[in-house]
Amino acid sequence: MAQHQVNYLKDGGLPVALTSIDKVVNWGRSNSIWALTYGLACCGIEMMASGASRYDFDRFGTIFRASPRQADVMIVAGTLTKKHAEFIRRLYDQMTEPKWVISMGSCANTGGMFNTYATVQGVDRVIPVDLYLPGCAPRPESLQYAVMLLQKKIRSEKAIKAQKPKRLM
Amino acid sequence: MQQTNRLRPFFENITFERDDNELVLNFGPQHPSAHGQLRLMLHLQQEQIVKAHPDVGYLHRGMEKMAENMIYNEFMPTTDRMDYIASSSNNYGFALAVERLIGLEVPRRAKVIRMLLLEINRLMSHLFWLATTALDIGAMTIFLYAFREREYLMDIIEDYCGARLTHAAIRIGGVPLDLPDNFIPDLKAFLDKLPQNIKDYEDLLDTNRIWLMRMENVGVIPTEMALSWGCTGPMLRASGVAWDIRKEEPYGLYDEVEFAVPVSDKGDNYARYKLYMAEMRESAKILYQCIDKYEETVKNNQTELMAHAPQYISAPKLDIMTQNYSLMQHFVLVTQGMRPPVGEVYVATESPKGELGFFINSQGGPYPYRLKLRAPSFWHTGILTDLLPGHYIPDVVSIIGTTNIVFGEVDR
Amino acid sequence: MRPYTPKDDVQKKSYYTDRYWVAPQVPKSDVSEDAVFAADHAALRAHFEILEDYIQRGQMVIYIHPKDNYAVLEFLRDHCGYTQLSELSAIDWIAQRGGFEVFYQMLSMTKKKRIRVKCFIGEHEAINSVEKLFRSADWSEREMYDMFGIKVNNHPFMKRILMPDDWEGFPLRKTYPLQGDEFAAWYEVDRIFGKEARDIIGPEIRDTARVDRYDTERFAQLGHEVPKGSTFDPNQPKTPLAYQEEGGVFLIEGFDETKSKIISDRKR
Repeated sequence: MAQHQVNYLKDGGLPVALTSIDKVVNWGRSNSIWALTYGLACCGIEMMASGASRYDFDRFGTIFRASPRQADVMIVAGTLTKKHAEFIRRLYDQMTEPKWVISMGSCANTGGMFNTYATVQGVDRVIPVDLYLPGCAPRPESLQYAVMLLQKKIRSEKAIKAQKPKRLM
Repeated sequence: MQQTNRLRPFFENITFERDDNELVLNFGPQHPSAHGQLRLMLHLQQEQIVKAHPDVGYLHRGMEKMAENMIYNEFMPTTDRMDYIASSSNNYGFALAVERLIGLEVPRRAKVIRMLLLEINRLMSHLFWLATTALDIGAMTIFLYAFREREYLMDIIEDYCGARLTHAAIRIGGVPLDLPDNFIPDLKAFLDKLPQNIKDYEDLLDTNRIWLMRMENVGVIPTEMALSWGCTGPMLRASGVAWDIRKEEPYGLYDEVEFAVPVSDKGDNYARYKLYMAEMRESAKILYQCIDKYEETVKNNQTELMAHAPQYISAPKLDIMTQNYSLMQHFVLVTQGMRPPVGEVYVATESPKGELGFFINSQGGPYPYRLKLRAPSFWHTGILTDLLPGHYIPDVVSIIGTTNIVFGEVDR
Repeated sequence: MRPYTPKDDVQKKSYYTDRYWVAPQVPKSDVSEDAVFAADHAALRAHFEILEDYIQRGQMVIYIHPKDNYAVLEFLRDHCGYTQLSELSAIDWIAQRGGFEVFYQMLSMTKKKRIRVKCFIGEHEAINSVEKLFRSADWSEREMYDMFGIKVNNHPFMKRILMPDDWEGFPLRKTYPLQGDEFAAWYEVDRIFGKEARDIIGPEIRDTARVDRYDTERFAQLGHEVPKGSTFDPNQPKTPLAYQEEGGVFLIEGFDETKSKIISDRKR
C-alpha cells in the first residue's frame, strides 16, 4: 500500500469567496460526516481500525459518535440479524435529517455468506441505504473510499429542499 | 417524515421506576462500550446494581446450522467470523478437530507455520483487547498506540494469507502456503520492538490513578465462581487456577516450546489486565522459538505443507495438474467433500479468549451430523449475571472490557 | 411425478453416495485401557447404572439414564474431580430414534482428563437441570431449549437465549430448514412494518448465485451508476470513477497522483 505525502497547506484558504448557498451548505455537510458507531460484527473491527491511528478517519471530518442524535451517517458494519433488525430501524428513526446510510460489507448488503434463518438478507429490507460497500470484511481504505463517494453524493444534492420521504428500499 | 412503522416505545410493559426505588436500566444492544451487541438489563438501587440480566443473541447467525449443511472444507471460512479478532485460532480449532476425527498427522513445517499464526493472532487479540478496554475507560492514547502495533501484525498476516481480518489461513491437514520471504524478518523486527511497546503501555497504565481506580478490586471473580461458570483462559487464570490447555493438553508443537503460564490469585480487573500483558510477552517468547523451528525445517528440507491422506486431503497442486488419479481425487473432494469416519470428537484449544472447543459428530457423510462450537466468551458473558450485582454503573464498562467477549463467538 | 423429499430431515444431503461404501469407524477402545478412566468408571458403576462406555480419541464416553443426570454429575464433581462442565448440548435423533441425545462434556483439571456423559431422552421428555451444580449450565440449558426445544426441569429462567422471545420453531432440529420457514422469512418485516408491508418490501432473495447485471433495483454497476429502478443502457459513456467532481471541490485539495511520493518501504 502506498503512502502519499500530500501537502495539505498549499493552495488552501482564499480570504473571500463567492458561492451559492447550496455549495456552502453541502461543503459543510460533506466534510463533517459524523458517523454513528454501528459496529455489529467483523466489519465493525475494520471500522474501528479505520478510525484508529494508521488510517485516521478524522482527516475526512468523520468522527464516530455514539449517539444517533449527533450522527449524520450510519455505517452499518456487520451482520444484521432478525433479532437486531428492529433496533437498527429504531436508531435510524432517531437520527436527525439529513441522514445517510452506508451498508458496509457483504452481510449488510445481502446477507453475505450467512444465508441462514437468523440473518436479515440485506439491511435495505429495513432501512434505506445510500451506498453499498462490498467486501468481507472491506479494508479500511475501501470504507474511506465509500465515505468519499458519499461526500460526492452529498455535494450533488440540493441542500435545502423539501425532504421527501426516502423509499424504504 | 419517514414512512411510519409500528415500532412503539420498546419498554412499554416495563416499569422503570418502581415503588421499591429500583430503577431498570437498559444497556445496549447497540452501545459503544458493549464490545458488540450485548444487551444488559440492569436493576439499580441508586447507582448500585442489584440484578443484572445479560441478553445475547443479537449476532446469532446460525453457524452450527450452517455447519450441518456444508462440507468440512466449506465451513472453514465461516469459523473466521466467530472470534473475528483472532480468526486463525478458530480455523485451527476446527482443523484440529477434523484432523483428530480422521486421525491425521500434520507435517512438521505446517505445524510450525500454524503456531506462528496462532501466536500472532494471540498478540493481535490481546492488543485489540487493550485498545478497546483502554478506550472504554478513557485512555485514548493507548487505543491509538495499540492499534498501531496491531496494524504491523495485520500487515504480516496479510503478507501470508492476503486478508487482514478473516484469514482462513489454515486448511484441514496443514496450511496452504509456505511463508513469504519477508515474513520472518518482518516478524523479527516487530518482536524486537514489542517489549518496548508493552513497557510503554504499562508505563502509561500501571500506576495511572484513574486506571487503578477503575481496575483494582473491581469485578473480583472468586475461584469457585470462575470454575462453576466454565471460565477458561485469562478469566480463569486471573482467579488463581493455572490452567492453560497449551501446557496441560499440548497440541501442535506446544510441548516443544518453553513458555510460562502467568497466574494471579486476585481475580479482579487489574489482575486480568496484568495477565494479558504478561501473555503478550510469553507469546513473543513462543514466536521467537517458532522462528527457530521454522528455520530448522528449512535447513532439514522438510517442505511438506499438507498431510498425505488421499482419501481426505487433496494432493499438492503439482500432482493435481500432472497426475490423473490426483485430479480425480481432488475433483471428488471438492464436489462431494471428504467423508470422515463415523464417530465423535471434542477438541479443545486455547484461543486468546479461553477454551475454544469443537464437538463434531460425524455419521460418515460429507456433512457433519452435529457440530457444536464451545466458545469461551459465551460463559464469560454469562458470568456477568453473578458478577455485576454489587458493582456500580461505571464498573460495568470496565468489567465488560476485561472479560474480553466477542459477540461473533458468544452468539455464533 | 414429483420426487419424494423426506420431511423429517431437511438438511443438505450428499448428491451421490456409493451403495456399497461402508463408512469407517473412529476406533473405540475399552475403558480398562486407561487407568484413570477405569477408576472413575468403577467408582461410578458402584452407584449408577452405566448403559454403555468406551474411550474414543482419548476421552471416555459413558451413557446413563436421563433421570440420573444430576446425581451422576454431582458424583463426578465431588468424588472424581471433574470440576468443570465445559459444554452441554444435544444431538437431534428424532428421525432415527425419536428423541435427543444430551451430552455433558466435563473436564478434570487435576487429572487432565475429559469425559463425556450422554443420555437419551424422548422428543417430548424433559431433563433435569444441572444448574445447581454448575452455573455454566444456566445458559447452556437455555441454549439447548432455544435450539432444540428440550424442556429442562427446575431451571430458574427457562427462556430463549439466542433467538427472540417470540420466535417460532427450534432452529437446530433437523426438520428446520437452514434458510428458515415462513415465519423466519418475514420476521423483521412483520415486526417493524407489519404484515401489510410484505407486498411492498417483497420476499427475501436467497439465491446467492443470482447475478443480473441489468438489475438496477439491487446493484449499480461501477461506472454506469443510474438512479435506482431506472433502465440501464450499456451504450452510455462510462461515468468517471473519481471521488471528486471535475472542477474540484471548494477548499478541498484533490489528490494528484503525480505529485505524491510513494514510499516503498513501510518502515516497520
